[in-house]
This record gives sequence, C-alpha cells and structure tokens, in this order.
Amino acid sequence: MSMTRRVMALLVLAFTARAVASAQSAEPATRDLDPLGRLTDASRYQIELILDSARVAGLPTAPLESKALEGISKRVDSRRIVVAVRMVFRSLRDARSVLGEHASPDELNAAASALRVGLTRAELAHLAQTRREKAITVPLVVLSDLITRGVPRDTASQTILQLWQRGAADDDFLGLWRGVERDIVSGTDPGVALLNRAREVPSRVPSTPEAGSRPEGTETRNP
Amino acid sequence: MKVPKPHATAIAVTLALLAPEQRSMAQSASELETTVEAGALMTARDGVLPITGLAVAPGFRFASPRLTASGSAAAWMPGDRWQLGNAFTTVEAFTPTVHGFRAEVSANASRLVRDLTVQNDQLDAEGRLHYMRQRGGLWLGSGIARPLRVAAVSNVNVSSGGIWTKLGAATVRGTVTSFLFTKVANRTDSTLASSSSATLCPSHVSAAPQPDPVSTSPDVVGGSCRHTTRLTDVEGSVHWEHRLLEVTVRGGQRFGDRLDVTSESRQWASAQAAVWISSQLAAVAGGGREPAQPTRGLPARSYGSLGLMLAYWPIPRGTVPVETPATMVQAFSLRTAGPNVQRITARIGGVETVEVMGDFSDWQPLPLIRRGRDLWELLVPVGPGVHQINLRIDGSQWIAPPGMPTLRDGFNGEVGILVISAERLKN
Repeated sequence: MSMTRRVMALLVLAFTARAVASAQSAEPATRDLDPLGRLTDASRYQIELILDSARVAGLPTAPLESKALEGISKRVDSRRIVVAVRMVFRSLRDARSVLGEHASPDELNAAASALRVGLTRAELAHLAQTRREKAITVPLVVLSDLITRGVPRDTASQTILQLWQRGAADDDFLGLWRGVERDIVSGTDPGVALLNRAREVPSRVPSTPEAGSRPEGTETRNP
Repeated sequence: MKVPKPHATAIAVTLALLAPEQRSMAQSASELETTVEAGALMTARDGVLPITGLAVAPGFRFASPRLTASGSAAAWMPGDRWQLGNAFTTVEAFTPTVHGFRAEVSANASRLVRDLTVQNDQLDAEGRLHYMRQRGGLWLGSGIARPLRVAAVSNVNVSSGGIWTKLGAATVRGTVTSFLFTKVANRTDSTLASSSSATLCPSHVSAAPQPDPVSTSPDVVGGSCRHTTRLTDVEGSVHWEHRLLEVTVRGGQRFGDRLDVTSESRQWASAQAAVWISSQLAAVAGGGREPAQPTRGLPARSYGSLGLMLAYWPIPRGTVPVETPATMVQAFSLRTAGPNVQRITARIGGVETVEVMGDFSDWQPLPLIRRGRDLWELLVPVGPGVHQINLRIDGSQWIAPPGMPTLRDGFNGEVGILVISAERLKN
C-alpha cells in the first residue's frame, strides 16, 4: 500500500470514528426529548397502551414510566421491560381495589410491591382496615423486604399486622428491619429472626391505667 | 569493644510519595492492582552514618474470591548504586465462610532493611481460623517463621489471637502474639541481637552454668550459648475515619524474661494521620516507637514521618462488568442537606467509579465524587416519600445500597427502598 493510500485510509478511519462519537454524544439529547425512545417500536406501543389504561383507571402513571426507564437504564431487553411494566400496572390496579380511592401514590406503590412479592389481597385488606388514620407505606415496604429475604409469607404478614395493630410507628418498623437483617446476615433463620426481634418492639396502643402501662410515647425505644 | 547503645533511633522523613495506581479486571470477580511508590528517604541511628537517598517501590496485588497474592520491593539509592530495600511477597488462600467461620493459610517472604548494616530476610507460614460477625470478629492462628542471617538456630514458633469490633466510625483491634525460638551466640559476641541487649551470654553462665528456674535459660555449649526465648506481645489499635481524616493509633506491651525484653521494648506506641486535601492529594504524618524484633535481629527504634501522597485513579475504559459484592460498601448513608436535597455519602475502598440512580434521577446514572481515599459524596434532589435507588461500583451490576429495605426490580436484580419522611427533611 502506498503512503498516499495509507494516509487516506487513516483519514477515513478518523472521520468514521468522529462520526460514531458524535452519534453517541447526541444519544443522551435524543433520550432527554423522548425517554422511551430506546425501546423497540412494538414494545413502546405496548407500554403506551398500558399507560393509557392506567390513566383511564385513575392510577398513577409515574411508577409505570419509572419501571420502563429503570429497565432501559439497566439495558434490559424491551420485551422484558413490557412484562415488568404490565406486572406493575396489574399490581397497582389490585392494590387500588383493596386500598380504595384515597390511598396515596406511595401507599399504592408500596402495596403493589407487596402484592408482587406474594402478599395476598386478603392480607393487604386486613392491614388496611386497621389504623386507617395512618399511612401503611413503611409497614408494607418492610413486609415486602422480609418476604424477599426468606421470611415465610404467613409469618411476615401476621407479625407485621400484629405490630401494626399494637400501634408500632414507622421508626419501629425500620428498627425491626435493621435488627432482622443483622440477624439473617449472622446466620439466623429469617422467620426466627423476625419473631425474636418483633418481641422487642414496644406496644404503643394507649391502655387503661389498670393495665399498668406507661403513657403513650414514654416507652423504652428499640435501640 | 564498644557496645552500641541499645536505644537506637531511626528517623525516616518522606519528602514525597507518588503512588500512581493502575487497576484492571483480570477476569470475572478477580482483580489485579499495581502501584508504584517513589520518595526520598533519610534514616539515622546512633553509631551509624545517616543515609539519605531515593526510594522506588513497585508493587502488585491480585485478588480472587479464594486467593490473594501481593508483593512489593523497594529499591534504594543511598549513594551511587541501587540496593534492595524493604520487600515482601505474600500468598493467602481462604475457605468459604460457613456460619461465620473461615479458615486461612498464608505464606510470606519478607526483607527488612533499617540501614546498610541492619538487614534481615524471613520466611513465614501461618494458618488462621476466623469467626466473623457483622460488626466484629475474632481469630486464632499458629505458624512458623524462619529468619535468615540472624542468630536463630530454630524456627520461630508463633501463636497468635485477635479480636476486632467496629464502634461507630472506629475499628478497634486487640492482638496477642507469642514467640518461641532458640538462639545461639558466641560468648564474646556482644553485638549479636542487639534487641537482647547483648545478654545472651551473661558472665555468670560462663563461670558455672546452673539450671535456671525460669524458662529462659541460657546453656553454654563450647564457646557459645543456646538460649530459649519466650516473648508475648499484647497490642491494641484504633483506626478511625471521619470524612477526610484517617487516624490510626497503636500501642503495645511486651511480656517476657528481662534477658529477652529490654526496657526499650517493654512498651511502644505510634500514631499516623492522613488528611485528604483533595481527591488526589493527602498529607500524611506519623511517628512513634517500634519495639525490637528479636527474631529478626532488629533493634527498637523511634521514627517520624511526614509526607504528601499523590494518587492517580484512571477512569476505566471498557471495564469488564463483574458481580459486585455489596460487602465492598463499608458505609452508605443519606443526610438532609437542604430543602428536597439529600447528601449521599459512601465509603468504598479500592474502586474507581461509584454511581447511583433512582426514580429521583429518572433512572439516569449520577457519578459520585471522590472526596478522599475511600469517601464518595453526591448531592441529589430527593423529596419526601418512598423512592427507589440503585448503586453501581466500577461499572458492574446495579445493586441495592446496604442499610435499607430492598425489593426485586423485576429484572433479576434488586433496588433499595428509600423512605424520606417530611420530619426528616425538617431535621
């Protein structure tokens, strides 16, 4: 190959590389304009249908769009993203049918997550019927995590329900979760760890003076 | 013959320490790290001419789940020619952790150089059994060491045990190490093993060797002494890291017969501190006293050090994604830094990039900024509510940050669930 041809080849290669680099740098801008643009046309159409269905049903669309964007960022295949978004949609619909119209988006999302890990609608309804004045978001978040970590579903749901009925606060549930996580990492059976730690959570339900309990808010806190 | 003062002093002042670091993923779940340290060195000791020179120390470390190998060798140029300075090479093998227990065997070859006249090489092999909990653990070990070019005729039997725990941002350690070995010394050689203060062949032994009731009894054989030595070192240390400051304080006590433990080696203490001035520049200072190492024939010494550390962390290109164990993350926390703003702080050692993403960033990766050796920070716009968050280290898989509930993400992974209450934002 002559020197001239070599120089030409190098120039072509350089321009090609620059063109590829320009295309790559333009990609984020395109994506900013159309976040779902990296899906295949068929997958994107299906997700648009799911989003329309959610709007018609009065469900929040943010969790659905968020799941799609999460899948795109994690470079998941478009068809699997559609499956995941559809699963979120169904669980949101089920959660709303149990919690009602007045559930906040966070509650709805947490309930949907709990349903996806195996909580039954009856168990969710049982939780929702108790202490209607407080959001059940954090108990549901902790419940979903515990089931994911291997605590038997019945044990987890019953224990969380009992604590919820006893007036446990959000910090109590998060403290319970930290303790159970530590125990599981140390080798304790997940179900046993939950039952042991649940005994340490104080009851916060106001009781009569005859019961001998202290006023609400003065109990010893879980470390 | 003049007996050198047992109290020997060495001062090493590092004027500059340059540590460019190259790290590459050798294969999945394994990594290879190479370093080069360079600086100026000055040592001084009573009775010996001070040495000033350059020092260059290349090193490597290979780590896989069951095996690590590391090594480093320093080349010193005190005058017009290079010589081998401190050097080591180590191979360690581990078993899997079962119910918190893990076994470990290691082999080590090392060379210590205090100056042109005090040098030593040694081979070591040791086995250890660890029991680890989340915030602490303990271990027991036993092994042998073979010093070269010192007056030890037997291998050194080493028994050790230790315990450690994490208290907040501090790690507290305590160790007990016992040494048993035999030395041979010529009765006229009073310079041998200066750590023993030239007492291997005391005059009363040469006159009429009597059975000694204590365990450390010198025996005279011909013109030399055989001396069995038992030493026990008890040492404690505290390592504390807070934002850009790293402090390590050590102290110890040596127990043993007065023939074996000179007053200079009964107690020792030292401290070292590093302050990261920027992400790639740290000031390092330290000093204290080291006990004698009688198995290696090295005397006690006082030392001081002062230096700057320059670090270069290259951005990986085309890094092979590997599975990242969440255990690499030593700490991960979020604190309110303003209205609807959270400060993410992570302490992750030995990595080159750390990123987070979540619903608060529309799942766009946000790189954390390195603030110190292992400290990473980022301000993110997060309002009250329940959020999902992922963490990625060195371009590997997205994982849920430790210390928060998790959920399956529907893509064979997990996300962390971040609960931010309105009260927390007010605080």
